[in-house]
Amino acid sequence: MTGNLLDPRITFGQAVADAAALDPKVVVLSADSGGSSGLGGFAASHPERYLEFGIQEHGVTGVASGLATCGYIPVFCAIAPFVTCRNFEAFRNDLGYMRQNVKVVGRNGGFTYSDLGATHHSLEDYALMRMIPGVTVLAPQDPAEIRGAVTAMLAHEGPVYMRIGSEPLPEIFPDDSFVIGRAKRLRSGNDLTVVSTGYVTPRVLEAVDQVGAEVDVDLLGLGTVWPLDAEAILDSALRTSRVLTVEEHYLPGGLGSAVCELLAGVPGVVVDRVAVPHDYVPSGRYDELSARFSLDPEGIAARIRAFAASGARSRPVAPGVSG
Amino acid sequence: MSPSVLELELAASRARRLVLRMLEAHPAGHVGGALSAIDLVEAIYRTAMRLTVPGLAAPDRDRFLLSAGHKALAQYAVLAETGLIPTDVLDSYGRTGSAVPGHPDMHKLPGVEANTGALGHGLAIACGMALGARLSGFGSRVFVVMGDGELPEGSNWEGAAIAAHHRLDHLAVFVDANGLQISGPTREVMGMESISAKFDAFGWATTELDGNDMASIVRVLDELPLTPGRPSAIIARTVKGRGIPSIEGTVASHYWKPSAAELAAAIEYCEDTTRRLEALVAAS
Repeated sequence: MTGNLLDPRITFGQAVADAAALDPKVVVLSADSGGSSGLGGFAASHPERYLEFGIQEHGVTGVASGLATCGYIPVFCAIAPFVTCRNFEAFRNDLGYMRQNVKVVGRNGGFTYSDLGATHHSLEDYALMRMIPGVTVLAPQDPAEIRGAVTAMLAHEGPVYMRIGSEPLPEIFPDDSFVIGRAKRLRSGNDLTVVSTGYVTPRVLEAVDQVGAEVDVDLLGLGTVWPLDAEAILDSALRTSRVLTVEEHYLPGGLGSAVCELLAGVPGVVVDRVAVPHDYVPSGRYDELSARFSLDPEGIAARIRAFAASGARSRPVAPGVSG
Repeated sequence: MSPSVLELELAASRARRLVLRMLEAHPAGHVGGALSAIDLVEAIYRTAMRLTVPGLAAPDRDRFLLSAGHKALAQYAVLAETGLIPTDVLDSYGRTGSAVPGHPDMHKLPGVEANTGALGHGLAIACGMALGARLSGFGSRVFVVMGDGELPEGSNWEGAAIAAHHRLDHLAVFVDANGLQISGPTREVMGMESISAKFDAFGWATTELDGNDMASIVRVLDELPLTPGRPSAIIARTVKGRGIPSIEGTVASHYWKPSAAELAAAIEYCEDTTRRLEALVAAS
């Protein structure tokens, strides 16, 4: 992890601009949201492929669908709840059902817009988006992964939703490699599996290193929420028998739920989840709210210790394997 | 050579017969709105669009979108009547997995551009297609048929703003204003008049016409765009269920489940009309 913190929106915008400069099929759509999504430079350099629509997300989602039918690859980035909740039916029908090659990016995800309150929080986007058949859900974990995820989503044929935050992020990965649907093992261990996603992962890594002497953690960082890297998670869970998921998302419906769905048929594996309780998060300071929900390094470390100390381990059994 | 008004009336009558052919396969559907719009759809396909069977997926094709996707019977019938799809596809109507389902599916039937049916989606998608055509340097045009009953959906007005702001004058919207929807007269359910004043206020060029009068439709299609630099909105006053006397102008025609006798009577009336028009065309 480097000490250099980068604004994910700027990293994202630069990555899109770099890709779009090479691929004339990439068009950027703005709902009065492009500049604050780091795309102001692209607007200046490629005005013909930067389309402004003002504050409206249902309409822009439809426009994206229509542009995709013409062979373009629209990238639409705005505040996360407005490109997932407000336009949900357009996303489902015009992008999902129509299988359009559109990339929607929700920025200021989770409660990173902490002081603006629940209208601007996005704690259900993983749940909503993974419920639309055919939609890939990305949550890159550091600036390198944001760059890699932009490249990967543009190369992927089909609708993609990507969540980024707004808090400055440290680099935790050595390069931009990103394979959709594949987890990265950040630490290897045998006591406990921790599965994390999105911009929370650098904090999880810090927490895992804090408890390193006490708990031997197998840490899987998921830049892709959906489809889940079932193989990596199953493999780790069968070794450790305990899986802790960490995400800045509501407890129901997100990564933790997806992991529970995956492991429901696996005897002997216990899952615990660090997530946001299913209620409206008050406005406030981001660091204080993160601590309230155990999403700061100290809180995550405490949950790892508590989970590791609880109950007896039993040997898990793979699905379909008796005895 | 462009077909004459009489020839278009004949084509529309044949298309109405194909709607009834689908009802012979499965006697239920959104017939009223299909038949109010079918003269518009026939005229758009026959006189305004450049479409061929091998060109149905050509990047520079003209596009037709049915924002009111429940009027799909009209589009299916016209696609078959114009030879763009095989007519026997229509006989699968009502069957599981049919290429002509209750709402159109672009992955099942060539010529269908979007999976509409949920109302208030078509216009914004059409704006994206029009923007894409412009970006590509194509001279393609985009035609949309909406229903007056779907106008309260706010997303339509997002699309209306987009089309005007981006000066999409190669986009034309026909509002099939038959004045009736499932709960009753549209003006009582949710008054949206003046429709033309609303589009006009958004920056569109607008006109009104009798949407079941082929001569009027052809005249307007020849004039598009109504004003260069502006998208065109044509408010077409129509009769729901037009062409089946027993259900014309009724709310009940919205989703019609005819008895065998009702269907036979409708077919007889339609075939009489077709024969009359054939004679007139032959004599002209």
